[in-house]
Amino acid sequence: MKKYLAIVQMQIINNIAYPGDFIGRSVSIGVFLFIFAGLWKTTFAIVGTDIINGLTFANMMWYLMMAETIELGRPRTNRIISEQVKNGEVAYILSKPYNFVLYHFAFGLGDGLMRIAINIPVGLLAAWILAGPPPSLAGWGMALVTMAGAWILHFCMMALIGLAAFVVEETNSFELIYQKAVFILGGMLLPLDMFPPWLQTIARALPFPYMMYAPARLFVKPDFALFWQMLAGQWLWVAALVFLLALAYRGSEKTLTVNGG
Amino acid sequence: MKNLKFLFALWKANLQAAMEFRSAFLTQVVFMMVNNGAYFVFWVLYFDKFEQVRGWTINDMMLLFGIAATAWGFAAYFFGHFATLGEVIANGRLDYYLSLPKPVLLHVLASRSIGSGMGDILYGIGSFLLSGYLTPAGVLRYLFGVLIGVCIFISFLTIIQSLSFWLGNTAALSQVALSALLTFSLYPSALFNSATKFVLLTVVPAALVGTVPAEFVRAFTWTSLLQLFAGALVFLVLAAVIFRAGLRRYESGSAIQVEV
Repeated sequence: MKKYLAIVQMQIINNIAYPGDFIGRSVSIGVFLFIFAGLWKTTFAIVGTDIINGLTFANMMWYLMMAETIELGRPRTNRIISEQVKNGEVAYILSKPYNFVLYHFAFGLGDGLMRIAINIPVGLLAAWILAGPPPSLAGWGMALVTMAGAWILHFCMMALIGLAAFVVEETNSFELIYQKAVFILGGMLLPLDMFPPWLQTIARALPFPYMMYAPARLFVKPDFALFWQMLAGQWLWVAALVFLLALAYRGSEKTLTVNGG
Repeated sequence: MKNLKFLFALWKANLQAAMEFRSAFLTQVVFMMVNNGAYFVFWVLYFDKFEQVRGWTINDMMLLFGIAATAWGFAAYFFGHFATLGEVIANGRLDYYLSLPKPVLLHVLASRSIGSGMGDILYGIGSFLLSGYLTPAGVLRYLFGVLIGVCIFISFLTIIQSLSFWLGNTAALSQVALSALLTFSLYPSALFNSATKFVLLTVVPAALVGTVPAEFVRAFTWTSLLQLFAGALVFLVLAAVIFRAGLRRYESGSAIQVEV
């Protein structure tokens, strides 16, 4: 456990080492919120109502702030594994006395914590200016708890995509498709409440809403019944994906070929 | 004419390099098309619920995506270093280009090809074909809009990344500039107030890549034509001047090497 905590710590220090780059990355949450404020302000004005599918303009902006924070803080494990497979570094990592998947979990966690730590204040400031004060403390609490599960789900998916690099080396294309699935079916760009009913049914049967919609929706509309329901669904998916990841890792180890390195 | 021949030779070499890994190239192309299509689902869902926003319908959004994606694809596929020029400068890799009797900026930009750009080009063309603006005049205006978009993408990023001559590593700044330009270009500027519209025509010229060319295809106006032409000209001249000024300050540790 200590060694993985050391990896988390190492990644936190690595992020702080380049403050310009670190802070620069957070600007995109401001751009994103600014654009969507324009879109939703116009939409609410055109429709001539204060509430659309149970969400006000302020709800919508804070929902998007939380969703974008999660998106920017999710691990990029597949890119790292892919790079390590291509340059042969994977051989070095595999020979070390730690579990390959847990190593990447700790690595991604250090990175993710720092990204979230910078994106929350920047997003908070932007959303506050654009939409008024943030949701209640209950919303923050439920969002933070479900964010942990969401992050683990993201990690499992990114690691599964990353392990594909053992076979195909380049995994960026898979990540792009995965990202769009989260954007749409996860409810990042549009809350599930606004989907047509048939699409809501499909989306809710998949893991994507637990990665994005659950924390963002609970953040703006804290509700204990929904919280427990989302939490249960989230951890069921975590169990399923961790199992799949363990299987995939065992299979990938056998197929890996390293030239040089 | 000589430069055009040189460009074609570079593009041919880039294509031959891509064909070495044919299946990887095709995968990138197909996945980029799927990726763009998946992103557009947001607008399908949005317009399914709200029908139009400030006069923009789903067809207009298809047109906007068509122009922006084609322009981005052309820039990425034919002038691939436009997104990584800062790295080339900061790492001293300009030495190679300086040692050859060819226009430096043109050579650097066109010496890399991003395969997925072809996917953007095909998606953009498809999106335009489906947008309902397929008339002879519409096609001509679409092509003009794409040409302006390519000029803006390349020159804006060249300006930002040329700051590497003075500041060193500008990776973070370039990333922010690129992300702002690309993100804003995919939304109609009718959503924003006048001050923001002005910024989107000048400081971050995203409107010149998306909204203005799309409006120009929807209906010809001399104002749009002038805006597009003047915008592209100003940004191209600025890019050339700033890059040239930076080149005078360029120094490296003699990193002459073979560029692959």
